[in-house]
Amino acid sequence: MAQSVAQKRLFHEYKNLSTNPPEGITAGPVSEDDMFYWEALIEGPGGTPFEGGVFAAELKFPKDYPLSPPTMKFVGGGVWHPNVYPNGTVCISILHPPGDDPNHYEHASERWSPIQSVEKILISVMSMLAEPNDESPANVEAAKMWRERRSEYEQKVRDEVRKGLGL
Amino acid sequence: MHDDEPSLNIPSLLTLAVVSYFVLRWFFNRDEGSSGGRPRGRGNVVDPAQVEQIAQMFPQLSTRDIMWDLQRNGGSVAATTERILAGRGLETPPPSFQPQVVMPRGHAPVPATSTATPSKADGQDLISRYNLSARIIAENEESQSPASTSAWAQNKEERQRLLQKRRDEMILAARRKMMEKGKGPAQ
Repeated sequence: MAQSVAQKRLFHEYKNLSTNPPEGITAGPVSEDDMFYWEALIEGPGGTPFEGGVFAAELKFPKDYPLSPPTMKFVGGGVWHPNVYPNGTVCISILHPPGDDPNHYEHASERWSPIQSVEKILISVMSMLAEPNDESPANVEAAKMWRERRSEYEQKVRDEVRKGLGL
Repeated sequence: MHDDEPSLNIPSLLTLAVVSYFVLRWFFNRDEGSSGGRPRGRGNVVDPAQVEQIAQMFPQLSTRDIMWDLQRNGGSVAATTERILAGRGLETPPPSFQPQVVMPRGHAPVPATSTATPSKADGQDLISRYNLSARIIAENEESQSPASTSAWAQNKEERQRLLQKRRDEMILAARRKMMEKGKGPAQ
């Protein structure tokens, strides 16, 4: 069976995530026939309006993973958050390749490198939900609401959390 | 050199030279042979691109160990990767091992910019996304399902099933908790 380096590394990460899953995270390939397409579930961090929620996201890996980072997109219900595009795509420094720093505010250590992993991405996204980064809003509307009308923002997030669980 | 010295004549010197030539040749061939017939006939040369490739996959490993393993298996990236993934680890090379390679450090990988597609997220909840409505009805009638355990199976289908089970239970447990919270006095 001729497996590429990327497939082997992804399989290795899948195994680690299954045998030793981090708190509040479930992730793996949708089907092992395509190791480059994963789905992940993240629990909303406690003490935030996202608490109690579960958020699904798809991860698409490039063929040269882990040299290049995957892309991550929330699916099945929007995530109302300053760093998540209205279409669900996550904008976070760990998903940006080292050479790509259009805004010159990210440290190289925060960005993607092969030392990072799916687990680290998902943990970073979890903490991003708790603490939005106001410097680079992907959802300008949500960022504005978060800054100026915090209680309205939190109520909207809580409503979406319940809606996501079919309540 | 004295011609009358019986122990150091020309024939015996020639014999010594021939014998030591064969001994040395055998000695170096043995070293070569133990690395399993390398396709590239040159001693300690390791392809820096291969070393880089493995080092980028497994940044925790020392490049020296990687070079040692690559050299011993005849420069096969696949074999070295296999070995690392199988959990056997790499051997520490002997102190005499001098890899003949200059590692080009710090050249950045190809940047790939992902452009966000301007499509809207589908407004589907997780219950309908994963077809869990039947499970919710069943759950209301039966007792609660036992907590999921982390698991790994050798079989591909079984792994798929376990992952799906963990995923479904995570959603259903969150839903149960949220419903209980909703029933409580303060929301």
